[in-house]
Amino acid sequence: MSAMRILAYFGVTPDYEALRESEWSTAGRGPSSGGGEGDGRDEGAGPADLPDTRYVRRILDCFDESALELALRLLDALVGLGGTAGLGAVSVGAADAEPHLKTLLALGFERAARVHTEAVLDFAPAATAALIAAYTQRIDRSDLLMLGARSGPGGDGTVPFRVADHLGWPCITQATEVEPLADGRLRVTLMTDDGLQRLTARTPCVLAIGNAVVSHLRVPTLTDRLAVRGRQPDILEPADLGVDLSELLGRETQTLTALESVDRRRESILVPGDTPRAKAQALFDSRLKSLLEEL
Amino acid sequence: MRFAAVLDGTSTGSTDGTATVVHRQSAALGAFLRGGLDARAPGETLVFYDDEREKDRLIELAPTRDVRLVRTSARAFERMAAHLSTQAEGGQADLFLFAPGPAGTELATRLACRSGGGVLTDVVTAEAAPDRLSCRRYVCSGHLMGRFELSARPWCIGIDAGWTDAGEPEAIEHVVLSDTDDTVAGRPGPFEDPEVLEAPSTGDLAPSRFLVVAGSGAGSRAGVERIAAAAREMGATFGVTRPVAMNAWASMDRLIGVSGARTAPSLCIVAGASGAPAFYWGIEKAGVIVAVDLDEHAPIARDADLVLLDDAVAVVEELAAIVAAEREAR
Amino acid sequence: MPLTREAIVEGLRGIVGPDDVVTDERILVESSVDNFRKLQNIFDVHTMPVPAAVVMARSTERVAALLRWADEHGVNLIPRTGATATEGGLESVVADSVIIDGSAMNEIVKIDAYNMQATCQCGVPLQVLEDRVRELGLTTGHSPQSKPVAHMGGLVATRSIGQFSTLYGGIEDMVVGLEAVFPGGQVTRIKNVPRRAAGPDIRHIVIGNEGALCFITEVTVKLFPYFPENNTFLGWTLKDMATGFAVLRDVMVNGYKPSVARVYDPGDAGLHFSHFAAEDDCVLLFMAEGPAGIAKATADGIQAIVDKHPECTQVPSEYIETWFNDLCWDASKIIAEDERIRQTRNVNRTTEISADWGSINDIYQAAKARIIAEIPDITMMGGHSSHSYINGTNMYFNYFFNVVGVGPEEETSKYYLPIISIICEETLKRGGSIVHHHGMGKARAPWVKDEYGSSYYVLETLKHAFDPNGIMNKGTIIPL
Repeated sequence: MSAMRILAYFGVTPDYEALRESEWSTAGRGPSSGGGEGDGRDEGAGPADLPDTRYVRRILDCFDESALELALRLLDALVGLGGTAGLGAVSVGAADAEPHLKTLLALGFERAARVHTEAVLDFAPAATAALIAAYTQRIDRSDLLMLGARSGPGGDGTVPFRVADHLGWPCITQATEVEPLADGRLRVTLMTDDGLQRLTARTPCVLAIGNAVVSHLRVPTLTDRLAVRGRQPDILEPADLGVDLSELLGRETQTLTALESVDRRRESILVPGDTPRAKAQALFDSRLKSLLEEL
Repeated sequence: MRFAAVLDGTSTGSTDGTATVVHRQSAALGAFLRGGLDARAPGETLVFYDDEREKDRLIELAPTRDVRLVRTSARAFERMAAHLSTQAEGGQADLFLFAPGPAGTELATRLACRSGGGVLTDVVTAEAAPDRLSCRRYVCSGHLMGRFELSARPWCIGIDAGWTDAGEPEAIEHVVLSDTDDTVAGRPGPFEDPEVLEAPSTGDLAPSRFLVVAGSGAGSRAGVERIAAAAREMGATFGVTRPVAMNAWASMDRLIGVSGARTAPSLCIVAGASGAPAFYWGIEKAGVIVAVDLDEHAPIARDADLVLLDDAVAVVEELAAIVAAEREAR
Repeated sequence: MPLTREAIVEGLRGIVGPDDVVTDERILVESSVDNFRKLQNIFDVHTMPVPAAVVMARSTERVAALLRWADEHGVNLIPRTGATATEGGLESVVADSVIIDGSAMNEIVKIDAYNMQATCQCGVPLQVLEDRVRELGLTTGHSPQSKPVAHMGGLVATRSIGQFSTLYGGIEDMVVGLEAVFPGGQVTRIKNVPRRAAGPDIRHIVIGNEGALCFITEVTVKLFPYFPENNTFLGWTLKDMATGFAVLRDVMVNGYKPSVARVYDPGDAGLHFSHFAAEDDCVLLFMAEGPAGIAKATADGIQAIVDKHPECTQVPSEYIETWFNDLCWDASKIIAEDERIRQTRNVNRTTEISADWGSINDIYQAAKARIIAEIPDITMMGGHSSHSYINGTNMYFNYFFNVVGVGPEEETSKYYLPIISIICEETLKRGGSIVHHHGMGKARAPWVKDEYGSSYYVLETLKHAFDPNGIMNKGTIIPL
């Protein structure tokens, strides 16, 4: 059984839940959103109109985190079968990903790299995917790419498929578990529109991870970290991958033109009562009974 | 401008599963065509299938009069996208519409990649102008609504999972324009040995008319189970928020929200969930939302029609008892 | 002859009625531990004796009747309200204990904005009291991370302290008067006055008693005006803790009272501030609060002090403000952490001590070095100082380890207690206190005599005087 080269992509995003309500309702006051002259086409909305997330901590995308831990478990399983694998990890963006890359080195990933860019890629999934595909193919030369189903800034769900298409590989999405078979194929469990299923896939392929039960990355000890202290993640530029990022961004087929805050407020009528029973009864008498009859 | 609605009617592996899935896809596309697309344009439905015996049933489900059939292999998304790309090049359609779900997203994306067109997923509304398509979709985990424009054709749109249609589709006299065989002899699909593990269980969430959702305020797995039992007693479908599913207090297929199901019940009781946007997106189309929570400052208290400030498990159980008593009295 | 479990349940029912005596097996098993042995509830592996019942106390009279009965029959009682204890104070360590739960005594009795006092029963959640007084433009000033879930009774019983203590003080500075019930059924009310010198201050027998002497049924705390609009945040990165402590000392000795004054070591800073702090950076942060003039003078004074330390690099205050707004526990964060532990077997623990300025850095360095050298499977070892005084500060050790090769029930013996032991030794050696604010509980009770020295005589006598039959929370503060 030859060694499998597995690459996992991950991203870090601002912790949106740490922002206050007021910051979301003032977003969308960009040049093109309401009140301005012109049809807004020439001044598209963009990152500047998003709430300021500079000061908010970064968190690992939750599906990407599953992908990282599943990659480690796949390695454990391969070793258990008498095989082996080399794990690599890559992220795209600025230095936010570095603490995680160092953690992954401490956990036994052989390769850890980030493709450096200061550009905001939230609404540029094509560019993100091109960078991931280029790294996978030209630098890492991996057999298997694992990433979260909503990978990439913006999380629109297209990045795994875009990468697969660039690479000419099939893609399994909403995967929740993966096991190696003795012949080098993979047995993948996935959630489909029709329930939980299993398929056998040959590499090379892309595995996009969905709502896996495994959702937390294991934690390296201080000793593990000490062992890789001398190693730094590789830092590459898009040009190193043969990618002209500004050209790609210029060719992006989607343009964000405006952002609107979302008003979900409803009547919010407080149902009175001193006890759970009293409140339940009040709700039933005033509204629930008739609503249930209508159903 | 011409559109093509795409249905993936290839076999899902379970009996009746294919028809159910396609029915849902079709209902979503039909609803979007009627309500979400601001364009009176001619169009057709393109149906991929792999089982001859399903053909007639699939034709019945198409949301447009004109239907094209394409025989292919299950999960052969790269081939399907290549076929669609040829259609696009040939000018058959400027706008391709795909149903919500992983298959629709994959096809929309691969088609855009191959044809140089633009793709947007989870599209809530779309307006077509001669040279561009303007769409709206949620961004930032449901905190904001973004307006996007696609210029390059073909426009590949995956529609938002909120476009469901619980009603019966109107009867249409379908016309089959073509039936092409796009299979390649001896070349199987990219995946082997499909095995169905569990009968579809999320299927009950999207079309549900009465839904009870449990959040982390249920306090424990036992609390969640009690809410689930009370929901069953009341005849409601049961769902959970992400923290509850991720904590294994309920199974993952009950998950509601951006990473789970999108629902549109007439009545929704949210018990013990604070109502963060990523979850709320999953219930925002509900007719009436009742929130039960101890925290009067939680977003759900402001975003619900009726609010009960009390313990989630206790209130839902009392409600179930009252509903049961009422049923018996009748 | 100790009572059987059945006889205990019978006896309790006779006092409070059957509805208020909880004997559900699941609840009893979960009630056998608190956060000290939280892995037992997370992994559903239980080793502690199962209590005979949880009895809900709904009034002071009921509490008195229960204590009298327990005293007569030698039944061990464990007083509880919010159940957020972290040091084993709520654990049952002897067979057939009874948890006496005051969480249903949740009435806010009086909010007196003129005299700046609020009175509430022991089961009032602090968050509820705080939200209520905020409506009047006031605050309790008490904000431990457990605020959303902790109750007033437990907060007073453990000598708790909050995030803003450097300005408002700890609970002992906030309590005005209280009501407590002793084992013989004596209901004692200590009245609300601004100061008294009519003998020793007996409130301090009750505050911090951890349920080992009495049951607190009601507390009155001070209120303060609330000026959130003047909150000013300041933050710096720097390379060593010695400098951090020196700056904190300067700020305190010069008379400034920021509501928050902290220094994080690199390990602990990495958990919160990796978006602006490098791997080897410590983080120093302050919040100034109060009327506009005071908040400004405090912030300016602190700025001037830190400006004299070129080794401190200032960071935009927005980083500190954003972090601060997201600090308290909430239900979904707690359950997400439980699931993280279940999946990774990686456990986060804390131990907080106090010492004078001259000793604190030595204690921190020595304990940290020993733990890293002597304890296996450590994934993070660090800490921060968060409560400073004119004469010293605390050190809140924060550490993570993987539980390897043993079941979750052995986490305490393989990792947690050995770490606590090292921290206590290094602290006691240098004259510090082994408990800053979490309470002695049962976890650190083995060190009680070392902690007290000759003054143990006073503690011991109090225990014998008030609880001669030993029915109040056996094993807490004074080990079995």
